Amino acid sequence: MGYLLEMKKITKKFPGVTALKDIDFQLRPGEVHVLLGENGAGKSTLVKILSGVYEPTEGTIVINGKEYAKLTPKESIENKISIIYQEISLIDELSIGENIYVGKLPTKKLFNMTVVDYKQVEKNTRELLKKVGLNKEPSVLAKELSISEKQQVEIAKALSYNAKVIIMDEPTSSLTIEETKKLFEIIKQLKNEDVGIIYISHKLNEIKEIGDRVTVLKDGTYVGTRDVRDVEIEELVTMMVGRELKSKYMNVGHRQKGTKEVVFKVSNLTRADKRVRNVSFEVYKGEILGFAGLIGSGRTELMNAIFGADKIDSGEIRLFGEQLAIKSPYQAIKKGMALITENRRETGFFPNFEIWKNVSIEPLIKESKLGGIWGLLNRSKERDYAKKQKDLLNIKCSSIDQNITELSGGNQQKVIVGKWLAAESKLIIFDEPTKGIDIGAKSEIYNIMRELSDNGKAVIMVSSELPELLAVCDRIAVFREGELRTILTSDEATEEKILLAATSAK
Amino acid sequence: MGNKFNSIWQKYGTLGILILITVLLGILSPKYFLTPNNLVQVALQSSITILIACGEFFAILIAGIDLSIGSIVALTGMITAKMMAWGYSVPVAILVGGIMTGAILGAINGGLVNATALHPFIVTLGTQAIFRGITLIMSDARPVYGFPLEFKNAIAGWIWNIPIPVIIALAAALILSFVTDMTRLGRNIYALGGNSQAAWFSGINIKLHTLIVFIISGITAGIAGVVMTARLGAAEPLAGVGFETYAIASAIIGGASFFGGKGKILGVVMGGLIIGVINNGLNLLNVATYYQQIVMGALIIGAVTLDRFVSSRK
Ligand SMILES: Nc1ncnc2c1ncn2[C@@H]1O[C@H](COP(=O)(O)OP(=O)(O)OP(=O)(O)O)[C@@H](O)[C@H]1O
Ligand SMILES: [Mg+2]
Repeated sequence: MGYLLEMKKITKKFPGVTALKDIDFQLRPGEVHVLLGENGAGKSTLVKILSGVYEPTEGTIVINGKEYAKLTPKESIENKISIIYQEISLIDELSIGENIYVGKLPTKKLFNMTVVDYKQVEKNTRELLKKVGLNKEPSVLAKELSISEKQQVEIAKALSYNAKVIIMDEPTSSLTIEETKKLFEIIKQLKNEDVGIIYISHKLNEIKEIGDRVTVLKDGTYVGTRDVRDVEIEELVTMMVGRELKSKYMNVGHRQKGTKEVVFKVSNLTRADKRVRNVSFEVYKGEILGFAGLIGSGRTELMNAIFGADKIDSGEIRLFGEQLAIKSPYQAIKKGMALITENRRETGFFPNFEIWKNVSIEPLIKESKLGGIWGLLNRSKERDYAKKQKDLLNIKCSSIDQNITELSGGNQQKVIVGKWLAAESKLIIFDEPTKGIDIGAKSEIYNIMRELSDNGKAVIMVSSELPELLAVCDRIAVFREGELRTILTSDEATEEKILLAATSAK
Repeated sequence: MGNKFNSIWQKYGTLGILILITVLLGILSPKYFLTPNNLVQVALQSSITILIACGEFFAILIAGIDLSIGSIVALTGMITAKMMAWGYSVPVAILVGGIMTGAILGAINGGLVNATALHPFIVTLGTQAIFRGITLIMSDARPVYGFPLEFKNAIAGWIWNIPIPVIIALAAALILSFVTDMTRLGRNIYALGGNSQAAWFSGINIKLHTLIVFIISGITAGIAGVVMTARLGAAEPLAGVGFETYAIASAIIGGASFFGGKGKILGVVMGGLIIGVINNGLNLLNVATYYQQIVMGALIIGAVTLDRFVSSRK
């Protein structure tokens, strides 16, 4: 069987780092080829070479018998390669349809002039959206979509090219079960059409479900390629990490039962826009409270409202007994709250800052006076904050002076977690904290959450990965359509029960 | 390789251009250009540009812009002059008519941006016209002159061999450089420019910082208004027309980006000097003023294109 494409001895050097060294990779028609590796292993770099974002330093790419020293973005599209990037790259001010067809808008003749055929755009977009399971009008602007909906648009966009090779860099990182299922159906259909798919994900259970072959990278080097049928996940993890990792959710452990001391309490909270209504819950000392729910069920909206980032209509919030009237994140932070936001690119990091400045901003704000404007900077203290988080979270970088945009996606996420840990808050809300984070680092984050909770902090975790919620949380609150449906204890919670509460009608 | 060049360009690009142009003019006009007298003259001519550019830089830093500074220069100059004519003492006139008025006008800009949520481009385009209108009404469209000698001596005089406007501009640049690099306020402003949504979620008060940014821009324009009035010996109702072009050009040539979050005061000062050197050089070479405009425009486009080109190389 011939290959759709072949990469031979690919090396890519960035100043100070060799991201890839002598990588060989082949893609067959009709296969899902999974790329596996820790954060910063070089997966995104490898596929960006195929999409023409990066030039390889050495090596060749062979497509249809033709050899390339590098691909330009144009050549990549001409060779029927399309890609879903790890970072969402939709243009906020354009509609869904325009985003999908940007650069290739269909045209028609009108009085001898070539004009954009918007009817066609709308019709095609509707079909694509139906395929990916997104129930939105093609004319809706991208900025009005949630992150998971944006991700679905990205998938639709990749499909619109009728490509022979589709690259998916963590397509499910912000999708929940339903949308993921839809995506897998699409992938299976594409396989039948002999499309080759390069699939990157940190969700290891997905490999068995849709993968045909796996190639593992470690620190930019090639470790090996296996048939999914013949390999156990444990073996892959060992290949990835270079040593044996005991279990996926290492010794997180549930809390000793019985403590009923309330550290955080929300009563009858309703958002000004009513997207979250009448929510009440408590966080007990020493526990981690999880939040489950479907896309758009209002979990992130709730957390943003608690944190003062969005307006509330009514409701009461008490942190360690003190009633809070919070109108902005600044006030929330001063009162000891932290919100690790779900979307790193939009609400998480400052692309113009080095790692250390990205980390130190939170402790700086926390200890500042007069709305954050008063006071001098202390460079060495700031850098110490960053160094500490770099070691704690094992952030892979050549130094903390590196610009954050030069980090791999998972390591950017770690920097964002780090900046909030550095603020040493009393209530820490983790909104999808392990998104895009590799298996080893995931368990490290769980341990950190447990440690915070053991030290008396109020800890909340929003996650769309049920196994993670079940393993880490002591109780799980289930959200549906802006309302809190039920709270399950870890003893009674199962995936089925959570799903039922998250989906069943009132 | 490309990346190394990139970082050197980021750090020393503006300085390189400044040196290049200076050397070039030194060769083209060896008799006049590189004389101490002329260099002091260049500094003096650049001082107002540098002042307003440093303030403008703050507006650009938060991905905004301030188009009203030319009108603020005129209005503050006019109020300062009127106050002296009304018999207020020189320090009071400078402080209230120049600096405080500048701050208030800046606060109006910032307040309007916050209240309307319009882009600063629109807001300051509006206030540019409004402030100019007020100046014309106040003055009956006639210049005001006849100030106490101590005003001219204090603002437009010399200390040893250095013109006071140069000292004022450098002092302002030094203070603002301190603000951007050493204070939390400065750090927050860079953050706001880099990603305003992330800034909000990180606890940065966006409206407060926007307000402060425009007040800074207003104050530097107010000081420039005072300096301008003192140097001319008159408050002209049409003073400062088109100044925003020079201020924006200096900031951009000096490494700021319209997308925000980028650049340094030192770069902006060099940007202002580049414009001053070129203007002075073209004068020495007897190039007519109209052509100077063309050169200036070409320079802005050239500098930004070059910067784009260099920083997009991977
Ligand atoms: N533009 C860049 N400049 C410098 N270094 C870079 C750049 N892009 C990536 N790197 C480095 O290359 C290495 C590989 O990064 P890459 O993004 O390919 O990792 P990844 O396997 O996709 O990780 P993740 O799972 O976190 O997304 C990392 O060490 C990263 O810091
Ligand atoms: Mg990646």
